[in-house]
Amino acid sequence: MDENVGPSEMIVHLGPQHPMQPGPFRLNLRLRGETVVDAEIELGFIHKGIEKILESKTYLQGIPIVDRICYLTAMTNEEAYVGAVEKLADIEVPERSQYIRVILEELSRLQSHLLGMGEFGEFIGFVSMFMYTIKEREDILTLMDMVTGARVTHTFLKYGGVRGDLPEGFREKSATIFAGLKEQIAEYRRLFNGDEIYKQRCFGVGTLEAKTARDLGVSGPALRATGVAFDIRKDEPYLVYKDLDFKVCTATDGDIAARIEVRLDEMLEAMYIIEQCLDQMPSGPLFYEDSLYGVRTPTMRVPEGDVFHRVEDPRGEMGFYVVSDGSDKPHRVKIRGPVYPTMQALPPLIKGTTVADVAAIAGSMDGCTSEADR
Amino acid sequence: MSAESIDIIFNPWLRTLLGLCLIGAVFGGAMLVVWFERKLSGDIQFRLGPKYVGPFGIFQLVADAIKLMTKEDLIPSKADKLLFVSAPIALMGSVFMMLVAIPFGAVVINGVEYPIVATEMDISLLYIEAVSSISIIGAFMYAYSSNNKYSLLGAFRNFARMIGYEVPLGITMVSIAIMVGSLNIVEIAQAQSPIWFIFLQPLGFLVFFVALMADMGRLPFDQNESEEELVAGWITEYSGMRFGLGFFAEYIHLILGSMLVVLLFLGGWNLPAFLTNITILGIFLPTIYFLLKVALVILTIIMLRWAVPRFRIDQVVDLSWKRLLPLSLLNLGWAIMLGIYLGA
Repeated sequence: MDENVGPSEMIVHLGPQHPMQPGPFRLNLRLRGETVVDAEIELGFIHKGIEKILESKTYLQGIPIVDRICYLTAMTNEEAYVGAVEKLADIEVPERSQYIRVILEELSRLQSHLLGMGEFGEFIGFVSMFMYTIKEREDILTLMDMVTGARVTHTFLKYGGVRGDLPEGFREKSATIFAGLKEQIAEYRRLFNGDEIYKQRCFGVGTLEAKTARDLGVSGPALRATGVAFDIRKDEPYLVYKDLDFKVCTATDGDIAARIEVRLDEMLEAMYIIEQCLDQMPSGPLFYEDSLYGVRTPTMRVPEGDVFHRVEDPRGEMGFYVVSDGSDKPHRVKIRGPVYPTMQALPPLIKGTTVADVAAIAGSMDGCTSEADR
Repeated sequence: MSAESIDIIFNPWLRTLLGLCLIGAVFGGAMLVVWFERKLSGDIQFRLGPKYVGPFGIFQLVADAIKLMTKEDLIPSKADKLLFVSAPIALMGSVFMMLVAIPFGAVVINGVEYPIVATEMDISLLYIEAVSSISIIGAFMYAYSSNNKYSLLGAFRNFARMIGYEVPLGITMVSIAIMVGSLNIVEIAQAQSPIWFIFLQPLGFLVFFVALMADMGRLPFDQNESEEELVAGWITEYSGMRFGLGFFAEYIHLILGSMLVVLLFLGGWNLPAFLTNITILGIFLPTIYFLLKVALVILTIIMLRWAVPRFRIDQVVDLSWKRLLPLSLLNLGWAIMLGIYLGA
């Protein structure tokens, strides 16, 4: 951005350390009074080199690494990587394992949306919202902890299956927690939509056009809020999503309120999916013992070739492109995360709004720098 | 009242002593309010709030104050040092100037009411309104001297908000004065003895309360601080006791503002005569009654803070000029008619 400032203009760098941010990135704003005239985003402050690390680890060692791309989406990251390798090595996953994976992914969607919404509440000045959602999120994490033994970084998937079965009492516990969460979601709707200040702050502010969103490659709730019903779970079903009944939640306005609305709907939908899974789940093995990979994963080799596998992350489209040269380590891994495009959509969105809206819009986009930088 | 007793009341030494006591009381009160706010917000958000220092964490703020006082006195190298150092003084000064004219209750002895106030003047309402707007200059000194862009934005917001809100605030105060026919806040409080002014001027109360919230910079009107956008707004570069003074000034302002609400609209300390004629009750009860009402107002303001999002600054300015100003003028007309009817 041009550093020369005109009369009554000022350049403000929000970041790399700023209360508004989900991680270090820099937002350079040219302000005229309170209005943002020009904006520019700089990413890359916490580049961790995940792709390169994956190339130096065996396939099994890679799973904990992909967990750490972003702790909110650990489960879906695992599914994307493990799914890609399974596709490449042609490993079959038993149906029971697939159901368990779906359950965990939807739980992960729930907790991610809850945290994102809490942060958003904080960004518009409604600090209590964060505490409300974090309390509900803790319950969801407890559920995940019951299954995987970890709250955020699970390392639960295994090539050809999952590490363990659902524990005793999972179904009952999830039923009580979901009942509470459904009430809470109704309460959040009341808190938001019944509030005059929320209406003034969020309706018609930060409107993302469907075309802009598509051009920038935005996916997930931010895209669906513009009216585009793009959901990989429906468009390119993986696991057992094609057997499940769920709808793709969309809104039409594309503004802040629409994005929040889509997230609230998706949370209800995620709970509906989990309930279905618990009902439909067949009994059977967690992985096929006779498959080559069931017992020999530590030294497993993957045939030569390349594959792209994508899943619906809580924030959008998460894809792994894996190239194998036949050895026990991937030759090349490329990650296509949902957040990088979402963050790129930020500067055009905040141009012409005010400083206060910057925080609100950034919060509603639900970014995660850790994931964008990788 | 005999000539001797008047001499005692207007003895300057006694007045000074009373003023110092009130300053101490208001500092203690501010500490209590901070503790109360933290505890209450904890309750609203399913947290515990402070709990380790003293019973229910009541001494947490004493510990915090010690920490603030022993911190390094940090002045940014590019700050305007003179302004930086004198800003807390200006802010605190404005609050203390307000404090001298606000009664903290009353003592009734033998049926005569002695208001607890450091100085009684005939134009106290005008005086309070005037000195309370000095605090904005203090806040601007805070922001401008620290040479920080966030602070500057916060200061601009502060000014925009203040210009918007002092007008309806002033007009509602004036409508009370017109109705009573006096600018003396003690007389205004005493005039509410049969009926509270909130019932006579409900619209005025509404405008006054909203404008006061904005004046005190409480959420939803804390745009000058809004930590998510401006880090800490006007107070970003401050640390140690200089920050502490700004922080305290805000809370003392909250207490004094709540007192104003009670004095102007919620009946002050007036109790029926049969209660205050009992000697012991007459000495303590009016003040306690008054402070209880103040606590109730503070409670409302604190609860509001944790239950709503924040306005954008342009929306605040909109609200004040387009909605509150016409409403306050409407209320002024109503007050004049009431004043004529009541024969003030």
